[in-house]
Amino acid sequence: MAKLIVTTRSGETRTLEAATGLSVMEVIRDSGIGDILALCGGACSCATCHVHVAPEFAGAVPPISADENGLLDGSSHRNPYSRLSCQIRMNDTLSGLRITIAAED
Amino acid sequence: MQALEDRDYFTDYEILKDPYSYFEAIRAKGPVYRPPGRDYLMVTGFEEILQVLQNVEDFSAIIGVQGAAAPLPFEPKGPDISAAVEGNRSKFLGGDLLVNYDGQHHTFVRSLLAPLFTPSRLKANEQYITAQADRFVRDVVARGGCELIKEVSTPFVTLVVADLLGVPPEDRQLFMDTIEAAPPPGSLNSADNDYSAANHPLVVMGSYFARYVLDRRATPRNDVLSDLSNAKFPDGSTPDAGEIVRLATFLFGAGQDTSAKLLGNSMRFIVEQPGLQERLRRDRTLIPQLLEEVLRLEGSTKQTARLARKDTRIGDLRIPAGTKVMLALAAGNRDPRRWENPQEFVLNRPKIKEHIAFGRGKHVCAGAPLARVEVRIILEKFLEHTANIELDAGKHGAPGARTLDYEPSFIIRGLASLHLKLAAAEGFVPSVGSATPKPAQRPAAAVETGKGYSTAATKIGDLLADPAAKAILDQHLAGVSADPRIGMAKGMTLRAVQAFAPDQFTGKVLDAIDADLTKLAPPRR
Repeated sequence: MAKLIVTTRSGETRTLEAATGLSVMEVIRDSGIGDILALCGGACSCATCHVHVAPEFAGAVPPISADENGLLDGSSHRNPYSRLSCQIRMNDTLSGLRITIAAED
Repeated sequence: MQALEDRDYFTDYEILKDPYSYFEAIRAKGPVYRPPGRDYLMVTGFEEILQVLQNVEDFSAIIGVQGAAAPLPFEPKGPDISAAVEGNRSKFLGGDLLVNYDGQHHTFVRSLLAPLFTPSRLKANEQYITAQADRFVRDVVARGGCELIKEVSTPFVTLVVADLLGVPPEDRQLFMDTIEAAPPPGSLNSADNDYSAANHPLVVMGSYFARYVLDRRATPRNDVLSDLSNAKFPDGSTPDAGEIVRLATFLFGAGQDTSAKLLGNSMRFIVEQPGLQERLRRDRTLIPQLLEEVLRLEGSTKQTARLARKDTRIGDLRIPAGTKVMLALAAGNRDPRRWENPQEFVLNRPKIKEHIAFGRGKHVCAGAPLARVEVRIILEKFLEHTANIELDAGKHGAPGARTLDYEPSFIIRGLASLHLKLAAAEGFVPSVGSATPKPAQRPAAAVETGKGYSTAATKIGDLLADPAAKAILDQHLAGVSADPRIGMAKGMTLRAVQAFAPDQFTGKVLDAIDADLTKLAPPRR
């Protein structure tokens, strides 16, 4: 199974098992890490699942959509590696993906 | 006089009128409460509700529709009843609807919905939503007033979701009439909760969506129904056609009463909350904040339910497998541990969007973005075209002594009717031409032909209503009349259902049924 490496807001790093087809948001949510509110449930309708993708993976994740881009603009913590974690689906080629949960808006 | 906390939430008429006093009475006993003599728990604590909603491993959503008071269709035994829950899924009311799904199946079906409610999709529909809102509002302002719920709210939200799902314009009036005639979900009259009745909206719309889905799979077009009908699950597999039909039908049902009530409840605040209408007229950008505070204080969905499928906990409280839990979302939204001055209406509360009117987690309302957009737009139109909105005192009594009629539902918080007086804005011009949609031409009642029933032309519901025809069906399809899933198919013919279950409804079986049906005397009218 693919691995997802998550750094939480408190600085803790955890390696999570990520089943194919689940979004990064879902993997984090199901693991019990409470940082991500995911208020819209992963519908690309808010920005509460905001993460920063490690630069070496920026090209590996699927391209950002206009909707995602627009929503991230509303976050005070946007940087060039910002993504909405509900829009990145895990699979074996993304195993080892490192992300940091963005600070709360 | 029975103490409030000893009364029955699910059947007490006065509690439906004011659930909020009841919730405070039971909150005083703790965030998790066991009503006397009942076999379920009621959770009013904000944190505790979140805990249950987010614990999808231990808590199943299977009783979401039927509610915590309804008996389970099996006897729970042991520390893990997950297998029994899945094995008995079809026996739960709404067990085959997305809202009641669990696990990966839920995640997969849910993913089919996501593209429908993105900001860009909603933007694409905004033109239609705005045009409809404008039409409805101009019409009622020109008349000087309206009964908001039936004349505006319900038809408006129905047309909006029909457009979103791509229902052909010629079919929309029938959808509207069907919804209008339906009882609200979570009725105190439990007989109203029978989703298998032939004229229940889920059944009528089910047969329409079945045709659309099959058509769009055979011949995809550039529309939403085609996208939905041909979408794949996240692992690349293809959803069963029946799943899409149920999903589209459920969406239709889910977004009706709730959104219409949100508009009604918001309007009540606008006309009753001192100073609010003037503030909104000066600054319409406050409308989204208004909606969030209305959702918090009087969200359309008062409660939902979960079933413990494993021995688990809520906080320190041990919850054995098989325990039914009612989650009082409306109470969590007024929990003083989370909200300052929880009973008060306050605009611009910090982190207001963390309210749980739409739930939270895996099952959070998928239609929330649509609800927020459509209600915002129509409220903007009301403020644009009027100089003043007030309640009709002739219907609702004087200020401070109002009579307001709330729907009898343990799920829904909303007004059955709200009579408004509308003073037109300066320079208001009513629309030119007829504004209200004309009823679609109904087909003339079928003429008695003496031909009797057939699998191609007769609805399953009509066959089941005739004891002789029902016997024929049960003979060739053992136990079909007792299968709860047949409820969804009552508006369809057997030949139409064949496409969904070809192994069960084979050509050979249907031909044999036809042979027996033609031997029956023609139906009496």
